[in-house]
Amino acid sequence: MIFPSVEFGIFFTIVLPLSWLLMSRQQLWKPFILLASYVFYAAASWRFCFLLAGITAGNQIAARSIARADSARRKRLLVAFAVALDLGVLGVFKYYGFFSQQLSNTLGSVGLGMPLPLVQIALPVGVSFFTFQAISYVVDVKRGLVAPGRWLDVAVYLSFFPHLVAGPIVRAREFLPQLAAPRDPDHVAVGAGVTLIGMGLVKKVVIADYLARTVVDPVFAVPQAYSGPDVLLAAYAYAAQIYCDFSGYTDMAIGLALLLGYVFPQNFRSPYRATGLRDFWRRWHMTLSRFLRDFLYIPLGGNRGGRLFTYRNLFLTMLLGGLWHGAAWTFVLWGAMHGAGLIVEHALGGRLRMPVWLRWAITFNFVVLGWVLFRSQSIGDAGTFLSRLTVPGALTLLTGPVLAALIVVFSLQLIPPRLVESLQGLLVRARPVLLGGGLAAVIVFAGTTVSSQGVPPFIYFRF
Amino acid sequence: MDEPRDDSLMSRFEREGARRYRAADAVTVVLLVAILLGLFAGGSVLHSGEQTSGFQGQVVRDVGRPLATVSAQSGLGKLRSEATGFLSPDQNLGSSGGGFAGAAPAAAGGIPSVTPEAFPPTALGGKAPPKQRLRSLLVTGDSMVMPLDADLAQKLVPSDVRVIQDPHIGTGISNSQIVDWGKLAQSQVRADHPQAVVVFIGANEGWPMAGAGGREVQCCGVEWAAIYAQRVRILADIYRQQAHAHVYWITLPDPRESDRETIARAVNAAITVGVQPWATDVRLIDSVPIFTPHGYRDAMPIGGTQTIVREPDGVHLNGAGSSLLARYLLSDMAQDYTY
Repeated sequence: MIFPSVEFGIFFTIVLPLSWLLMSRQQLWKPFILLASYVFYAAASWRFCFLLAGITAGNQIAARSIARADSARRKRLLVAFAVALDLGVLGVFKYYGFFSQQLSNTLGSVGLGMPLPLVQIALPVGVSFFTFQAISYVVDVKRGLVAPGRWLDVAVYLSFFPHLVAGPIVRAREFLPQLAAPRDPDHVAVGAGVTLIGMGLVKKVVIADYLARTVVDPVFAVPQAYSGPDVLLAAYAYAAQIYCDFSGYTDMAIGLALLLGYVFPQNFRSPYRATGLRDFWRRWHMTLSRFLRDFLYIPLGGNRGGRLFTYRNLFLTMLLGGLWHGAAWTFVLWGAMHGAGLIVEHALGGRLRMPVWLRWAITFNFVVLGWVLFRSQSIGDAGTFLSRLTVPGALTLLTGPVLAALIVVFSLQLIPPRLVESLQGLLVRARPVLLGGGLAAVIVFAGTTVSSQGVPPFIYFRF
Repeated sequence: MDEPRDDSLMSRFEREGARRYRAADAVTVVLLVAILLGLFAGGSVLHSGEQTSGFQGQVVRDVGRPLATVSAQSGLGKLRSEATGFLSPDQNLGSSGGGFAGAAPAAAGGIPSVTPEAFPPTALGGKAPPKQRLRSLLVTGDSMVMPLDADLAQKLVPSDVRVIQDPHIGTGISNSQIVDWGKLAQSQVRADHPQAVVVFIGANEGWPMAGAGGREVQCCGVEWAAIYAQRVRILADIYRQQAHAHVYWITLPDPRESDRETIARAVNAAITVGVQPWATDVRLIDSVPIFTPHGYRDAMPIGGTQTIVREPDGVHLNGAGSSLLARYLLSDMAQDYTY
């Protein structure tokens, strides 16, 4: 069940009124929202509800034991157990096929047999997100940043349907306090929520899917059939597509949560406005960036050692961050590329003086180059794609709507944020009837632009 | 306790006026959206349910039926359709199966004639017809054909073959609500006149189809297979373009789940029967002996190395599997074409 679907529309139309009806009676609301979230998840695959419940139970037992533990060593052991459980689940479901295939290839090349069975395991939707949330919960309990929650609260925190399948990665200390008391029914950010849902729909269904259908998918599938200008266009179009796809999903998730009375952390902040890679990662998938910073980079030692030590930590963090996105060498290389870029940026510091526009142009094109790796099926395919950039030819795929989509996506990020905020300010204070009518019109408009093949899955569902 | 840096911007909705609404406003907005969509797009809701199988599809159909009636009777659905129709990226290829008019096998009738096209000359010791230079290839089907279509394109484009990739995800020959394959095949042939056609479809089959006298026939008995085979035959005949094109129709490798296996078995049996009359033009590429000779498997030896060939869903082929299938296909195509 994806957000832009009739099934979800029916689901949410039932859940929202019931949620507010039960809100003041938390002993009823929490089981209700937990059940609703599991129904939402079961629509993808009911079998994996047991996995979600198991992750919840394992981490909650660990978190409560950590809070009770009287020695630092015991706390560390318990954290290690919980993190091993989460990473073990992630490893088996997400990486087993990839690593066993690599092992088989390596052993096969030296004439040895494969000791492990080669099987393809179904990937539970959202496993990367809810395991990371679970890790953040137990580690934050160990660090004393949050107290262990009640069983029901933690179950709701990990399964709350707006963030369940593709984030944002919400930290326990951001969400558990919101479950401590019923949400105030007299102060709900309905305007902001509806605006975000509408914006997310347009980003995903109208812009991202259109660019994918008309430019990105054909060129990335067979770059050999296109010359340099079209290949270059496809690279920029993918940059726009992935931003609209993922930030569109996030907008909808945050908007839906707002209508239910809950606030999620921000996940995107005009990422293509960045004038450096560090700046980019503070704007792109912000909840993952801070997860990697707080639970990987800093525990590795952060910048507390020498310069080389810091570079090693930066590189490892980005490498593993790349691998988090998927079990493929392209993601590893993409992470390594960003790691190397961050090291260079760090090494240069402020020594290299450049105008802002030049820093922006270098950062933007570096990020776009990275997306080529990210989107390609293999490193070989990425090489073919990039080699086609040098082939002269006509720009055949740049139509009026494609140009308009690219201008909208990139220019909205480059105009001053205050201007965007003031435009949004008008919407977030509109009357409910106007909001409802506007959202219905957006849904009809977006729905009409959907091809007969339906709305493609969100890119980040695979992760 | 360390005080963490607030980089989550959790207070960004606290700005003046953002929280001026009540919960009742949220419910009002959502109900208003639901009512407006019911009035203006009730038909689309029902249509969506007809494309979805299982419990979810049933719920959407149950909700969609009254909405579709209200939308149609009020005229608002038509108004919306006329006002926004120009935005649709597709030509209208859905129908109630009109593209397969007469596809239900006759309950009784004369003996269909057997033509020489049922016999490849080489099978009877004759000479193979001269090979043509392959200039255009249509690769079509549902999600099964991905990434086979891209793989074939990558292999053939350097030989100046125009490869038309036309997958229609989520569609099926047994369900004409989204795409009526009878209509689609005609439009594909009309638009591109492909010299050869690869068809790989069957991930979304198992829908009931209209049998003799309009009676609904459920999957997956012989009656269902007969109707499916008739539809395959119609499609194969359209794609072969009166013997001007060769068609390569791929059967489904066994899926992992047993309920899907039942459907796949019926589909494969129907394809085998469906393409029979034109063995000279329509080659059956049987993927079962290649991928699942003894039932479903995730991995198989390729070039001496065990290789995973299926996607995690246990239905589709992954990149390695598609690449292997492409090699088999090209070897079959090499009997008819040079490239």
